[in-house]
Amino acid sequence: MTMVNININGQKVSAPAGSTILQAAKKAGIDIPTLCDHPALIPVGACRICVVEVKGQRTLITACTFPISEGLEIQTESPQVVKARKLVLDLLFSERNHYCPYCEMSGDCELQNLGYRYGLDHFIYPTYTKGFPVDATRKYFLMDHNRCVLCGRCERACGGLVANHTLGLRNRGANSMIHADANVPFGQSTCISCGSCLQVCPTGALCDKRSAYMGRDIQTEHIKTTCDQCSIGCGMEIVTRGGNVLKIVGDWDAAVNSGLLCKNGRFDPLYDERQRVTRPLLRLRGKLEPVSWDEALQAVAERIGKANAKDLGVLASTFSTNEALYLLAKLFRKELKTANVGLLNDVAPKLSDKQGLLADIAVSDVILVVGCDPLKDQPVSSFFVKRAVDRGSRLIVVDGKDNGLAPFAYMNLEMADIGKAIEIAQRAGNPVVVYGAGVTDKAATALKKLQGKASFVAIEPGVNTRAAAALGLNNGFKPSGVKVLFTLLGEQKVDEEIVSKNVDKKAFVIAQASFVSPLTERADVVLPMAIWSERAGSLTNTEGSVQKVNKAVEPAGEAKPDWEVISLLADKLGKKLGASLGEISARATQELK
Amino acid sequence: MSFLDIDERIVKLLELVEFTSSPVTDLKHPPKEGVTVGILEGAICNTHNIEVAKQMRERCQILIAVGDCATFGGVPAMRNLCGTDEALKRAYFDTETVVGGLIPDSPELGKPLEMVTGVGEVVKVDLFIPGCPPRADAFWYALTELLAGRVPIVLPRELFTYD
Repeated sequence: MTMVNININGQKVSAPAGSTILQAAKKAGIDIPTLCDHPALIPVGACRICVVEVKGQRTLITACTFPISEGLEIQTESPQVVKARKLVLDLLFSERNHYCPYCEMSGDCELQNLGYRYGLDHFIYPTYTKGFPVDATRKYFLMDHNRCVLCGRCERACGGLVANHTLGLRNRGANSMIHADANVPFGQSTCISCGSCLQVCPTGALCDKRSAYMGRDIQTEHIKTTCDQCSIGCGMEIVTRGGNVLKIVGDWDAAVNSGLLCKNGRFDPLYDERQRVTRPLLRLRGKLEPVSWDEALQAVAERIGKANAKDLGVLASTFSTNEALYLLAKLFRKELKTANVGLLNDVAPKLSDKQGLLADIAVSDVILVVGCDPLKDQPVSSFFVKRAVDRGSRLIVVDGKDNGLAPFAYMNLEMADIGKAIEIAQRAGNPVVVYGAGVTDKAATALKKLQGKASFVAIEPGVNTRAAAALGLNNGFKPSGVKVLFTLLGEQKVDEEIVSKNVDKKAFVIAQASFVSPLTERADVVLPMAIWSERAGSLTNTEGSVQKVNKAVEPAGEAKPDWEVISLLADKLGKKLGASLGEISARATQELK
Repeated sequence: MSFLDIDERIVKLLELVEFTSSPVTDLKHPPKEGVTVGILEGAICNTHNIEVAKQMRERCQILIAVGDCATFGGVPAMRNLCGTDEALKRAYFDTETVVGGLIPDSPELGKPLEMVTGVGEVVKVDLFIPGCPPRADAFWYALTELLAGRVPIVLPRELFTYD
């Protein structure tokens, strides 16, 4: 890598060839203010805040776009530069209606910070001359055009990162407006509420409804963790204040998702209206009564103790940590020798020995999406596909016509016609097969023709399905004849159908769950479980990566982390399986290798 | 009113300056001979405000505009976003308790302007102290700098940063 030598403010700086002035300055610890620039987005030089003086150049240059060359001499805070930046800020502040006193973003606003930085105590142009609309039609966040500085970050995020292309810019100059699709209300547009635009907006133009006014960034705590709403395992941060969860933001440094999240992970968990189970419950005289943990676990242990291995049944939801699943397998499969153990969701078949990664999609030329609907179920994985399609990759969807990615596909096929897709993939340079549990046996056999040629990226349904399957918990559960049924439900949505399909009328049912559901109502013992924000542990994502989940707030009521409940139950049964998270985690990791 | 937030420092101030007039004293206008420093607040919303601003500019050597209204237009300027006619109609005709309704147009009253602006759009201002409310320390800094003879005054950032 060639290094280029430049001079910034009299300081010698060396940076890789191809860097921009801004990148070189950042590396050297020299601060150049920016507004429309964002590390995750392509620089466009729209706001003109980052202008610097470059010796020999006719005008001031935007540091974010100008590539460095040998011997460049740059001044980043010369009087000319400061004057220009002040003018830009004067223009920005007077162009639209920036009222700091009641803005949700006040204190965390990049425009405000720039105003303070350059000592703007008044504006030289008339202010508040024209009103702009506020669009609050999206459920989770609103757009106040009065605060928009037309930096274009939202548009670049929607198009470049998420590849959804909902946001655009219409008209020119002072009449420019950010809009959705062909200027429709956001709530009726193709917006998928992934919140990427919200995350990059520098001002209060895009602001989250739920966490508005709940605290400035310095008053909050950010806890890095992994999302556990699907099997992709995006890195995110839970923002809390005083023991309350305010909002969720994507972790830009996360390896899997690079800062992007989707509606399912960013917003929905905070809008969950289901009732929590907060106390252990035991069915006494036909009614579920609150009891102590000791009493509840004792009741469970007694029933399990009296039963034979063939009378026991276990149903696990993959909304569980590695640690919980490890303990479940250890206790029921190994210690109690239960074979009637199954999962509440399907498992994708293994089509290749070589682990395909989501990153492989980025360098593909042909993508087959077979038997899964990532756009609906694992949206962040669909961003990979859409970005690749933007770049010229050909997408072939082998699924139903209702598949979310069908509109983006070069070709849509039924599972029976998968042969056509495989032929095309065989002729490709870097084909990728993105597949899920919907792959039929016939199709799976046909896809084996691509082994060695294509990268197979499994998109597991559920959440921690990889770990669950690896631990032997996918052994084919049969409901009839089960006398004692232990269900690890996690936060999974459980409806009447699941109950009628899986619960034998005579079974003694134990439900370890976070939320009230038809299954907890049917159960004889209910053990309250902590949810995603309330417990630590680890999850194995669909690529086989083990990622840490961290605890952000205390569990509701008497709920306990999923692994702790099973550990306590094991104790009652006289089997010491580990008491601390660290211990259990180490053993689980070892087992999953 | 935020000027009084300087609390006990006003006692020291009174040893060094002479207040000639204010809206709350009997004497409400600066004397014709002029004063050294004038402090003006409020946005320019009607013709009367323009007269006051012009008079202050004429009679004060150094004019200080204080508060967000005088600096930017502030809350009164929100009426620009819908227009003065619309605002007057809403206030005097469409209010829930009005019967009949009449927009006051006595010749004694200032006429509302089409656009509300800060004071700086009408007269030259020597120093702006923004804030809603402006900081007492900013007032104090400005006046002590003036008393020490140091002009022009540039407010340090800490004195007008509110977040």
